[in-house]
Amino acid sequence: MEKLINDLLNCLDEGDMDKAVGIAKEALANGADPVDLFQNALVPVMTTVGDRFSRLEIYLPDLIFAADVAKAIKDEVQEVILKTQKSGADTYLGKVVIGSVFGDVHDIGKNMVSTLLEVNGFQVIDIGVNVPVQNFISTAEKENADIIAMSSLLTTSMPYMAELIKTLDGLGKRDKFKIVVGGGPVSAEWADSIGADGYGHDAQDAVDVCKKLLAIQ
Amino acid sequence: MKSHVRLLDILDKAENGPIMAEKDFDKLISTTVRELIKKYELKYDRKDAIVTDDQVADAFFQAGLELAERVGVYCVSTQRRMIFSREEILEALRWAPAELEIGRGLDRVVVRSRRPEDPLVPINVGGPFGTPLSEELYSQIMESYIQEPVFDSVVGGNFHTIHGREPKTHSPWEVLLAWREVELTKAAAHRAGRPGISVGVVENAVTEIGELSGTSFGGFGPTDWHHVCFTSELKTNYSLLIKVAHLVKTECIIHDFCNPILGGHAGGPEGIALVAIAGVILMAVVNMSTTHSICPTHPFYNCDTAPEIIWAISAAQQALNRNTHLLTTVMTSPVSGPGTESLLYECATMATTATVSGTARIDGVRSAVGVVVDHVSGLEARFNAEVAHAAAGLSREQANEMIKEFQKHYVPLLDKKPVGKSFVEVYDLKTLKPLPEWQKIYDKVKEDVIRLGLPMK
Ligand code: B12
Repeated sequence: MEKLINDLLNCLDEGDMDKAVGIAKEALANGADPVDLFQNALVPVMTTVGDRFSRLEIYLPDLIFAADVAKAIKDEVQEVILKTQKSGADTYLGKVVIGSVFGDVHDIGKNMVSTLLEVNGFQVIDIGVNVPVQNFISTAEKENADIIAMSSLLTTSMPYMAELIKTLDGLGKRDKFKIVVGGGPVSAEWADSIGADGYGHDAQDAVDVCKKLLAIQ
Repeated sequence: MKSHVRLLDILDKAENGPIMAEKDFDKLISTTVRELIKKYELKYDRKDAIVTDDQVADAFFQAGLELAERVGVYCVSTQRRMIFSREEILEALRWAPAELEIGRGLDRVVVRSRRPEDPLVPINVGGPFGTPLSEELYSQIMESYIQEPVFDSVVGGNFHTIHGREPKTHSPWEVLLAWREVELTKAAAHRAGRPGISVGVVENAVTEIGELSGTSFGGFGPTDWHHVCFTSELKTNYSLLIKVAHLVKTECIIHDFCNPILGGHAGGPEGIALVAIAGVILMAVVNMSTTHSICPTHPFYNCDTAPEIIWAISAAQQALNRNTHLLTTVMTSPVSGPGTESLLYECATMATTATVSGTARIDGVRSAVGVVVDHVSGLEARFNAEVAHAAAGLSREQANEMIKEFQKHYVPLLDKKPVGKSFVEVYDLKTLKPLPEWQKIYDKVKEDVIRLGLPMK
């Protein structure tokens, strides 16, 4: 595994997607257990990627590339799992619908969160910026999401977060989704006060809180 | 802006340029930036606080111009790229004004183009720059800036409440937010005896709604200057282009800004400098703006005073101010808040960097990165402006050494959120004078920076 991890990290440094997928394929062809490969190679590689980003040794484009590689390898793993009919066929940790709230076009922080969630094995549906409350809800329903994640950088767009929760309440659908919020002016106390399930102060924290909410180790 | 014909051209390009997915545009930026950094051999050197070499500045300019030409601007609303030839870009730069009059009557001032190490003092703009402010304190906080003669112009904050209610953007409340800004800013200007001072507006116009309403009869007008930004990186949208069209037709001055994010699509310090240069050039073309601001931002501290960013700002400003006569602006966005020494060192760093890099107009101070309610005051902004006066005419080498010293006083605190105190804790609300404790800190840091070689008066 150690060697596999290093090889994969090298591919990320070199920006070589085909080679990375090739390495994973080869390991699987040589009989590596797909779930083992996922948990003990891919997860540590992506954790390293996340750490490097939080020290700014790599940047958002590298993170996006790593997320693409992770997705491609996951597809390979998934294929093998489906073929061998093993349990746990769904290798995604959970499904997150994410966006910047109505009126707000700040999206760099949201993009970082969404990419790091993908890097960490979540399926992410990013519905962009300036998203009306109703769009969050209809997308989450259509996609059967586990989590709705909202980003706001403006004190004047934050109220839409509360509005979403109130709307879900009003529709009697509050229990269908976990709600996670974040962005510059948002705080844990405020998240609490509007009845959100979680708050993250940065991208890594966002990943941790989503894992916690879905009770993943 | 010498002619309105360009507006039609811009709108045509937004409708007819080549279609591209937004993700692919982001990728185009990151790959082109990486390629240009290699091609022009641009390299951040930690041992320097700022760029001191003309050749480096000129290489940055050429690379930034090439970036502008190769990627263009992305219109998110139409999913199209607006592409401009080098000739179109150079034509727009050639006809851009090198001077601009703002304000009226005795409060009229002229913003002039500067060069690196120029002895001409830059124009100084003070204000809370979008920081959320209590409605009850709004007018007094604004007066704490307007009353300082060192400011040539001011900018407002965002309302924490509106007529006691929770303010909500993109709703009828945004109209009321804009008009409250008109009312309370004008009242403050009258009280301070500077009714003609120009104001950077409409600060509460998060979307086009506030701008369209606030820039109409009895509201803000042609002697003020009006914000229209690019979104990161190198993007616009119809909400922003609606502002441009309205402001062009109402003959208002357009002020632009873009905030490339360190560690984002632009990458590291060299990359944010390049995107800032391309951003200013393209905003001059697309937004038909006359003053151009940048505030490259740290992804974790949200400030622009981190050492990598200071260096990037110096590179971008020197590139632009040596190679164009654009009226450039830099925003001071520190992590520290009022009542802290570190805030004044962050200001000293930014104002010195921008002034010796030839910036035409220095803006600030968005204390505590502009997110803590009422954590702003006139005094730090006055300090910022006074540093700019003192730094005009210094050499970049002199400034480089001083800035390294200033940075020792705040860099270790960047991740500590030293947000300081709120306005009511640092100013006397009756006299609108700084309280003795805050004044003492100001006096002390002023002495310290004079000792370090900055000729403050
Ligand atoms: C960059 C920036 C812009 C860029 C945005 C570009 C883009 N595509 O995102 C541009 C230039 C477009 C812009 C425009 C405006 N801006 Co602005 N902007 C900023 C700035 C300088 C930095 C924000 C940023 O990107 N930080 C870096 C990222 C990485 O940090 P982050 O977003 O906080 O994200 C991190 C965490 O919060 C967390 N996170 C983020 N989202 C989520 C979501 C979840 C679910 C979780 C768990 C975690 C999480 O993880 C991220 C990674 O660590 C801030 C200043 C500040 N102090 O924040 C002002 C700021 C947010 N802007 C402000 C304002 C006022 C505006 C304008 C209204 C200005 C104007 N008059 O036109 C417009 C509004 C446009 C609009 N409709 O939204 C104000 C807001 C004040 C307020 N009312 O609260 C601020 C605070 C500055 C100020 N005082 O003026 N801005």
